[in-house]
Amino acid sequence: MTADVIVLGAGSAGLAAAVTAAREGAKVVVLERHGFAGGMGTASLVHTFCGLYLLGEGPPRLANPGFPAEMAERMLRATGDDGPVRMGRVWVLRQHPVEFVRIADELFRESGVEVLFHSEALRAERDGDGWTVEAVCRGQRKVLKAKALVDASGDAVLADLLGAAAERTESALLQRPAYVFGVQGVVEAEEGLALAGRIVDGVRRGELPKEALGLHFRSSGRAGEIFGSIDLSGAEEGDYDPLDAGCLSRLEVRGRQVASAAVDFLKREAAGWAAAYVSHWPVRAGVRESRRWIGRHVLSEAEVLAGTRHADDIALAAWPLEFRETTRGPKLRFPEEDRAAGIPLGCLMPRDLDGVFAAGRCLSCDHGAQASLRVMGTCFATGQAAGVAAVLAARGEAVEGTLLRLRELHGSPE
Amino acid sequence: MKEMPTAEEVVAMLREEGIADLEDGFAADGNLFEAGMDSMAVMQLIVVVEERFGAVIGPEDAGRENLETPEALARLIGRRTA
Ligand SMILES: Cc1cc2nc3c(=O)[nH]c(=O)nc-3n(C[C@H](O)[C@H](O)[C@H](O)COP(=O)(O)OP(=O)(O)OC[C@H]3O[C@@H](n4cnc5c(N)ncnc54)[C@H](O)[C@@H]3O)c2cc1C
Repeated sequence: MTADVIVLGAGSAGLAAAVTAAREGAKVVVLERHGFAGGMGTASLVHTFCGLYLLGEGPPRLANPGFPAEMAERMLRATGDDGPVRMGRVWVLRQHPVEFVRIADELFRESGVEVLFHSEALRAERDGDGWTVEAVCRGQRKVLKAKALVDASGDAVLADLLGAAAERTESALLQRPAYVFGVQGVVEAEEGLALAGRIVDGVRRGELPKEALGLHFRSSGRAGEIFGSIDLSGAEEGDYDPLDAGCLSRLEVRGRQVASAAVDFLKREAAGWAAAYVSHWPVRAGVRESRRWIGRHVLSEAEVLAGTRHADDIALAAWPLEFRETTRGPKLRFPEEDRAAGIPLGCLMPRDLDGVFAAGRCLSCDHGAQASLRVMGTCFATGQAAGVAAVLAARGEAVEGTLLRLRELHGSPE
Repeated sequence: MKEMPTAEEVVAMLREEGIADLEDGFAADGNLFEAGMDSMAVMQLIVVVEERFGAVIGPEDAGRENLETPEALARLIGRRTA
């Protein structure tokens, strides 16, 4: 099978890249190991879009035009919400993973992307002017060829497969993972501060494991349904390694243990929780940070904090640095004057390779900058740019044309 | 047993423990929730207050009226250490 562009991974970045590239007229194939798109935003039940709106006072203003704006609009139509909600100093858009999956199916169909679910990429190499990628489905290998590749795997899988330059934050500093699960059957239930007090009380009395201190609940927006999120250290046994099956497996099991214990405890003790039950487990525990590409530009924490702009910015980073290095909740650092930094094209372009583009949480930046860039609103924007760049590369045109093309399509950001 | 802490001591504790990102000289009657303290931070707060002051804050105490400002918190800690 031969395509113009193969996109590895159908998370928020891969979805944006694939749909954008197909709308630009390219033949696009997406490889995704799960049975649906959305990545962390569906398989891990992460249920808010951050980074869609600029920081600062006043009404919400979209940071990046085009695909991110379209996703916001489609999601609002699906949830019936009026708009984003203000949380402290930021705007977030509530999203429902079930709607995200369905919207992604529609977008793929409308734009003519060919999606291969249940396909795990396991080999990639240079092939003349283009690339060969091998994926496996149920033990069967499939060989695909393309002129350009987009790595939206979240884990920079393609960098590993191609032996290209990539980087990992040392284990102790990695943003911590979290386990998100669905709960139903709660009616006019105790919530917020009172629930927080009750959970601490349960831990104090030895009825709950101490990891329950990293637990909080948020309404899904649907009647009687809430999401619980548990921040875990990932180092419950041995160092946290988000690319190791053993470590990830322990994380999954621990997440389910803590969630089950918490829901059982609240059923017994909290008002309105008597009929509560865990209604869904995530397909996978949520991983915030793993491996990143080293590109022609490595966006730094200092650049994001200074709101730095570059001549070749393809998107804006509109989320503060959100550190999750401990399980004790987020630590936010805001850029100077709430100014969104620019993400230059060089962050999508591997240092030593042509015809490959990175997008989403594994693009080229340092640990601190990734604390801002990883959010889904920004992944939609970097994915969109990677889609445009990949089409230009597939046609043998200069990828520097990405900026101009993005501007033609959507106007300038901000 | 310790005395009831001052509002300044409460602000210092919230900052040192990273529970809320407060500016220098945060007011005794300033709103901690508006300053970014959420329910997850409140869990940490309850744990820290017990470690530092031996004050046991129960589920019935975990309401806005007791937690909203440094001075309300100081009073609550005073009552629960007594
Ligand atoms: C607990 C948690 C809470 C978060 N909270 C928020 C929040 O509130 N708001 C927000 O905007 N962001 C939040 N984030 C961050 C955000 O969810 C992620 O950073 C973002 O979704 C990453 O998108 P992505 O497309 O880069 O990667 P991913 O979503 O990880 O998608 C990568 C996709 O690639 C696929 N894939 C990987 N390797 C292969 C392979 N070899 N073959 C085939 N397929 C492959 C995966 O299955 C996956 O579908 C949170 C993250 C976590 C973990």
